[in-house]
Amino acid sequence: MSSVLDVFRFRRKNTPLHRLDPRAKFAILVLFSAASLILNDLASLLLVLAAEVALLAVARSAGEWLRSLKGLSMLVAMILALNYLTLPSNRLFTALTLALRFICLTTAFSVFFLTTAADELATALEASGLPREYSIMFTMSLRFVPSLARDLQTISDALRCRGLELEKGGLRTRIRNYTYLLVPLIVYELRRSLMIAEALEARGFGALKRVEPYVELRLGRADYAAIATSCTLLALTVALRFTSLYEAFVRLQLSIFGEL
Amino acid sequence: MALVELIDVHFRYAGSEEYALRGVSLEAEEGEFVLLVGPSGCGKSTLLRVLNGLIPHFYEGDFRGVARVAGLDVPKTPPHVLARHVGMVFQDPENQLFLSSVEREIAFGLENMGLPRSEIRRRVREVLELFGLEELKDRAPYELSGGQQQKVAIASVMALEPRVLAMDEPTANLDPISALEILSLVSRLTRERGVLAIVVEHRLELALRFATRMVVMDGGRIVASGDPRRVVLEASRLVGFPPVVVAHQLLRNRGLIGGAPPLTPEALSEEILGVIGWRR
Amino acid sequence: MEAIVAEDVHFSYDGLQPVLNGVSLVVRTGEVLALMGENGAGKTTLVKHFVGLLKPRRGRVLVFGVDTREATVAQLARRVGMVFQNPDHQLFAETVEEEVLFTLRNMGVPPHEARAICDAVLREFDLARYRDRSPYSLSVGERKRLALASVLSYDPDVLVLDEPTAGQDYFNKSKIARLVNGLKRRGKGVVVVTHDVEFAAQVADRVALMAGGRVVREGPAAEVLIDAQAIAAARLTLPQIPAAAAILRERGVKLSRIPLLPGGLYAEVIALLDGGAP
Repeated sequence: MSSVLDVFRFRRKNTPLHRLDPRAKFAILVLFSAASLILNDLASLLLVLAAEVALLAVARSAGEWLRSLKGLSMLVAMILALNYLTLPSNRLFTALTLALRFICLTTAFSVFFLTTAADELATALEASGLPREYSIMFTMSLRFVPSLARDLQTISDALRCRGLELEKGGLRTRIRNYTYLLVPLIVYELRRSLMIAEALEARGFGALKRVEPYVELRLGRADYAAIATSCTLLALTVALRFTSLYEAFVRLQLSIFGEL
Repeated sequence: MALVELIDVHFRYAGSEEYALRGVSLEAEEGEFVLLVGPSGCGKSTLLRVLNGLIPHFYEGDFRGVARVAGLDVPKTPPHVLARHVGMVFQDPENQLFLSSVEREIAFGLENMGLPRSEIRRRVREVLELFGLEELKDRAPYELSGGQQQKVAIASVMALEPRVLAMDEPTANLDPISALEILSLVSRLTRERGVLAIVVEHRLELALRFATRMVVMDGGRIVASGDPRRVVLEASRLVGFPPVVVAHQLLRNRGLIGGAPPLTPEALSEEILGVIGWRR
Repeated sequence: MEAIVAEDVHFSYDGLQPVLNGVSLVVRTGEVLALMGENGAGKTTLVKHFVGLLKPRRGRVLVFGVDTREATVAQLARRVGMVFQNPDHQLFAETVEEEVLFTLRNMGVPPHEARAICDAVLREFDLARYRDRSPYSLSVGERKRLALASVLSYDPDVLVLDEPTAGQDYFNKSKIARLVNGLKRRGKGVVVVTHDVEFAAQVADRVALMAGGRVVREGPAAEVLIDAQAIAAARLTLPQIPAAAAILRERGVKLSRIPLLPGGLYAEVIALLDGGAP
């Protein structure tokens, strides 16, 4: 079972975060992603991560996030190792920072996707003017990610039952073995998309470009508060980032790490 | 005028050399439960797709003949218009259910029709009640059992209030109890709401008891059509017999019974009681 | 002989929801076992243990005496062939012939022997005329045959079929039934995972009913498939003939036994008319 993809899977829960309008959650996502990319030091990124985890706790989704971190641990370790070994100076600090940035980014998206259903996102996009043809692409892509993961697992099982050892062999053999998975996967998903298209036609899809959505999306006080706070914090982050105060802060951390 | 009218329909998929439908003529009225059977490749799925316009609009090819549903000329009517008259349910619920709650799923088709929100709300409520899905309305379709999912799929197309319900092997992935639930739900729709149901199924032992008509296809043609109890004997070479019919035939060959075969264990037991009682 | 032994197998996919709650089962060669129950009862999860795709959290599975935790899937697959429900999950080669050769190669069959086996197997499954065609150009029934052919090509001792009759027409169901009987006569073990009670009535020697991650009833097909309570607990329906026989018994008719197949019921009726036991 693919635990890495689970980090992006929506679970329906009744928490303040789940109840926020998708557009408000999107603003939060922008804030966290931008902050993760702009900020360049360990302490600030830890702060970002702490804020994200706090939100995950509010959303009662910290468990799912932690479980998926296990799946990401390989990538994180790679980032750490590669940077530590190849950078000229400040290796430990930079390596840790970059790894932490990766975690912050994925967690930012995780906060969004764990609390926002694919079709809610689509409704929000439609409310912002996106034609239904395009919003449906979002809905479908997100909704079928778990199916795709499951199909990949089944295909891999079927091939292993025919004697294919996916774990063994040198890099070239392994890559070739994994390509054996691609053909059935692509064919299977193409067939599936045909079936989905038939079902969409059967539900009258395509009659109109824009439709009145069943679920009314209205921005409430909490949503405005979230959007306003996100915008403010983002502005502050950008502003602070280019001050000498920030540079001093970074230098302080570097000095703690010494020449590691 | 019949609800569904196919007259000498020929169809060849683009890029294919063989004709999938070779002169199919069929008339069906409201309230019927038509069981459409035949060996793989006989054209039953193709025939179904003519009903809601997937053929020839979505699947292009060489289409000849007359196809009319609810008075509309199929080749001249776009699928999204036909969707209001013919609801289609497919085999795999996973590829028909897209949204995050049962309620939204049912509303989806209605949204696509451009109906005002108040009308959508009314119909969703009605459909949830009709199918006994109120308790599940906030649940995600992927959390439900296969039988429940197919119920939601049916509800989602019935919300558009079509007069025809076309189903392509709807119980193939379901256990027998869920399969019977679905088929009997469809039968109820035909009897209580006058819906015309055209159902493709392989499991005769489950589906035959609900059918008011059995239509058998082979090689792109309809080779038998009529009372299930008669047709099941005529077409046995193509679709086999359910076990109760085999038992009936054995007794008949011994000269102990005559008449039309039973389609259910209950009917068979009645027959046998007759045989024993009569002899005693 | 005992080919596969499952001893008190416990398993869960995510560590929270148990899927198998202590399953014990034996698969023997020369015998057809039908593993039945509703979707979600754990049937597919269980058979994946037979080939080592999954390993038990508690308990163990022995395949010809080897603990599955100590062998690779490839090793176990050499003795236990698995055919999945959807053939499209495994077909990928450029030609039909290549599909079969791929399996034989992986199973360590030397190349020129593989050719001969491939030819024979394609002929046996009536696929020889398609040998140079792409697997995707075949019909659904033919693809299913191809998947079967490539697994049977290396002659495993046990064959596991996952829902072989789902969505299949009458001809294909008969072919599969004949295939299963043929394998049994050759001394192979066959496990059929299915919820098709009529098919089980036709081919199974033994039936194991699963519900809630456990085997709730196991025994000869003629006994299990007529047990109305157990069948209902597994969310299945009685096959038509036992159902009719049960009604007759309820109405006071003295049947000597509840038959499984039409011939059996016919014999009972004849016997009653002749005024004695068959």
